[in-house]
Amino acid sequence: MQPTESSQANDQATQNKASQPSWATSENEFLCSVFHSMLQARILENKLSSLYKAGKIVGGVYLGKGQEAVSASLGASLIRDVDYFAPLIRDQAGRTAFGEDLLDCTRTYLGSAQGPMRGRDGNIHRGRPTEGMPAMISHLGAQLSVLAGMLFAKRLQGSLEGRVGATCIGDGATSTGAFHEGLNMAAVEKLPLVVVVANNQFAYSTPNSRQFACNDLIERARGYGIGGFSVDGTDLLSCASVITEAVRRARSGKGPQMVVAHLLRLSGHGEHDDGSYVPDHVRAGHYGRDCIEIAMRQLVEMGAATPEQIMGWQESIAADVQRAVAQAQQEAGPDPYREDWSALSTQFPLPIRAQATTQPQDAIEPTTPFA
Amino acid sequence: MSVTYIDAIHEAQDHLLRDNSSVFIYGQDVASFGGAFKATKGLSEKYPGRVLDSPISEDAMIGLAVGAAIEGCRPIIEMQFADFSSVAFNQIVNQAATHYYRTGVPIPITVRLPSGGTAGSGPFHSQSMEGIYAQYPGTIVVTPATVADAYHMLVDSVALDDPVIFCEHKFLYRWLKADSIRGEHLPIGQASIIRPGKHATVVAYSAMVHEAVRAADRLKEDGWEIEVVDLRTVKPIDMDTVLASVARTGRLLAVGEAFPWGGVTAEVISRVVAEGFHLLDAAPQRLNSRDTPVPYHPKLWAAHRPTPESICEALRKLLSF
Amino acid sequence: MPTVPILMPQLGESIAEATIIRLGVAVGDIVKTDQDMIEVETNKAIMSVTTLCDGVVSEIRAQEGTSYAVGSVLGLLDVTEEEVARTGVDTMEATDSTPSESPPCVDKETNLHFAVDDADTYTEAPTVVPSVKGLPVPTGTLGAHYISPRMRARMDDLGIREADISAIAGTGAGGRVTVKDLEKFLDYLESWPSVKASPMRMAVADAMRRSWTRPLATVGIPARIDNLLEHRSSQEPKPGLTLYLLRAFAVAISENLTSAGYLIGDKVVHPRSLDIGVAVQVEDGVVVPVVRQLDKKSVSELIHEYADLVNRTRDRRITEQDCSGGIATVTNFGTFGLTLGTPIPLPNETLILGIGAGVKKPVWSEQTQTFLPATMADLCLTFDHRVVDGGGAGILLSRVAELLQSPESL
Repeated sequence: MQPTESSQANDQATQNKASQPSWATSENEFLCSVFHSMLQARILENKLSSLYKAGKIVGGVYLGKGQEAVSASLGASLIRDVDYFAPLIRDQAGRTAFGEDLLDCTRTYLGSAQGPMRGRDGNIHRGRPTEGMPAMISHLGAQLSVLAGMLFAKRLQGSLEGRVGATCIGDGATSTGAFHEGLNMAAVEKLPLVVVVANNQFAYSTPNSRQFACNDLIERARGYGIGGFSVDGTDLLSCASVITEAVRRARSGKGPQMVVAHLLRLSGHGEHDDGSYVPDHVRAGHYGRDCIEIAMRQLVEMGAATPEQIMGWQESIAADVQRAVAQAQQEAGPDPYREDWSALSTQFPLPIRAQATTQPQDAIEPTTPFA
Repeated sequence: MSVTYIDAIHEAQDHLLRDNSSVFIYGQDVASFGGAFKATKGLSEKYPGRVLDSPISEDAMIGLAVGAAIEGCRPIIEMQFADFSSVAFNQIVNQAATHYYRTGVPIPITVRLPSGGTAGSGPFHSQSMEGIYAQYPGTIVVTPATVADAYHMLVDSVALDDPVIFCEHKFLYRWLKADSIRGEHLPIGQASIIRPGKHATVVAYSAMVHEAVRAADRLKEDGWEIEVVDLRTVKPIDMDTVLASVARTGRLLAVGEAFPWGGVTAEVISRVVAEGFHLLDAAPQRLNSRDTPVPYHPKLWAAHRPTPESICEALRKLLSF
Repeated sequence: MPTVPILMPQLGESIAEATIIRLGVAVGDIVKTDQDMIEVETNKAIMSVTTLCDGVVSEIRAQEGTSYAVGSVLGLLDVTEEEVARTGVDTMEATDSTPSESPPCVDKETNLHFAVDDADTYTEAPTVVPSVKGLPVPTGTLGAHYISPRMRARMDDLGIREADISAIAGTGAGGRVTVKDLEKFLDYLESWPSVKASPMRMAVADAMRRSWTRPLATVGIPARIDNLLEHRSSQEPKPGLTLYLLRAFAVAISENLTSAGYLIGDKVVHPRSLDIGVAVQVEDGVVVPVVRQLDKKSVSELIHEYADLVNRTRDRRITEQDCSGGIATVTNFGTFGLTLGTPIPLPNETLILGIGAGVKKPVWSEQTQTFLPATMADLCLTFDHRVVDGGGAGILLSRVAELLQSPESL
């Protein structure tokens, strides 16, 4: 696969041609799998939106509409059970591509006690931390250092080789101290961290002009001393090639990589928001186009899939989504009377002679000269 | 031969690194420099790659610890000063402390907070943060007051599966000495009666335990026998021991070095009033620092925190009721 | 064979315990359903515990003269399976599975209850320092002026009321009585002879203590009772003097219901019916049965009802119901030869009317311009001064004296 014209890799990136991941049997197959995840995310999220509007979902519903190509490309570039993926609020496509079960989504949104969060947290805050997918908190940028820590642990344990950790954040999150601290720390530690910044031009309602003063967020990569890529987020072929390349570089020991994807959020911040602050000319502009339509055309044109095939995928996905929604809806929610209401795994009181095995050896001789 | 409080912390970390390969220490200047207080001196050479300098990024230090904990490590994070942990507040209370409840995956991290005041340290190197972190569900907050506790509670903290805020008092680092730290020790979560008495109970923790004992010594000359309870762990609070003591004395004074609004002393008193109203002979009292930032000048600082004199005065008032 | 417990019954809503007066059965006795077995005394009455089924007494756990909580097992019956099936009684086997005696204590370790210092004495206390902000030293008269939560808990433990410790001069700050003082006083009393107060005594004490929390005042007036005595001797059977008084009191109150009103908050509750109690002295106490609707019946109509009530009271055969619902009380302490008294109304009543013994006295006659002999008795009325004033009480009492002058109209 060649980088398309719309991808503007910076000087570091251009030295390396993007290549398809080794686990995909063919380029077309990989692209189709990314597209399948995009499609599933779109159909699922449309369903969530309608459940929200029907009063079935309480709290918020946050969609990744317009961001599927970026998110799915990232998710599909990662290897389940090897890599770490810390999705944020617009990463349904990435979650699907990384292998998250549909039921994890519907159960969490619909409050089933059988979901991974058991009703204790909702919507996009779900995760399976011990399966490589930490559960996000609402504080933006906070997952960067957590991912760094997961990778750090693997290095300590001698099994970092061949692993990457990736997260996808928005333009607004790049303004937080946590983003800076986390990315700088990952750079200092030279950890295989891939940060995809989906610059969808609005942080809730705040436009880029009020978010940062540099020309392009990708300029920051140089400041952190990490690899940087820029890509048209509405273009599947560009996303797949650039993001795959960024992941490959991280995996091969070249330290943190940052990808800035340019796109437009095609929904409000959440389904409670109509996004009316987005000017019409922006909506009508290049980034206002729908990545799914572009991708469909690209796949058909390059002969990777036929319109009939895509129609078939749509139908089977819709049926899967309906099943997952139906099942989650029928499952019981959490029971406040059976909830153990403990935020600690430790049970107090602890027995005398605590669990610690370490004991002072001799009378504990100070081994240091100070006193 | 004597062991200081900081020796105990150093030794505990040495032994933890020695005995458990999943332990590592991360913090500012902790590697070859050995830490601002030398709590990690020599450890980076002894345990290569496991005692590492971090950038000055308190938030990311805790985030990294959380991620490493998810992957099976037992990180010890040294905040250079407790005061700076405010920068990491979000990661501590929102990431680490909520994690087990939200996901069922516990986060066994130990955050060492060099806490409390010493003369001349001023507003940003003197704070006592235990109350802030104890307020959040999902944390365990310990405040060792003795050399042996500094060792054993640090070892036990790292062994616990939940986030532990380990508040070590800077004043005690070199001032406090013990002959040995061997022998039996109480588990985390259990208070100890450090001095028995029968006329009033002082509940204290960390350095204030020693101030309370000095106050009790002075009142002894007047015939008063003051019981001093060392909380050891401020979250969870060992109410059994506190209530048993108040049952014996009927009078309670809670002493803490932290700021006076809310916090540990307020929690102790509200629980005693709620659970042991029938035990009280007088309205329970509390003594904290003054309600200003910690002042720089030693004279102001000495009058800002509870002292044996102010504890004595508070006790005399309590006993006169 | 199944075992059926004999339980202390709930003999009235507010009754928590009762004292065994007489055990009417012994081990080995055959008992029949509904048979009276054990006589018990509550605050106000003596009653019987009956059996629920036929059986044989297999064990007696209760002792005469001892009090047992409601629900306590007083004894056991052996009962046949058939009889259990017939009567549907709960057997011991069935009741044992549910906690019947005392409810389980809360977590043993946290139930610290109460701890008192051992025999050690306080060393000399240092001088009391002046009051400080937030913790004023309590001041006031010596004694039980301020009671700490701890002191209160200890008193509750021992069943001691504030009035009981008025004898103790406290050594605490401001002269308050400490737990130590209390224990010392109780130790001191140990060397004095004492008896256990009867349930009746406790009931009277409790009622009087509660009543005494109000501002009570007493007014008095002499009344000539010759007409009354004359009228009384002309009747057959003879009505009691107290009955005339009850009637006169009822008529007087009916003319101004507010005078017997009960003050609660900002409301004065009026009598619903002129039911007035009469104080009857019984062994170790006073019982106040209530005569009903005194404004609607004449003395002659009331004679039998009144006599029956008084007799049943003296025999301790009245029910709680017989004693409830009164709006005022009449007491004839003259029967003890007393001429003057300041009776205390029941805590739920505002008024008590007392009459002293009749005494022959010379009374000035305007008609004959000489002193003539007359039988005089002093009437006294104690009232809750929050509800009634001296004037109102005077009018009420004068009216009673006036009504007594024409006993035939009563």
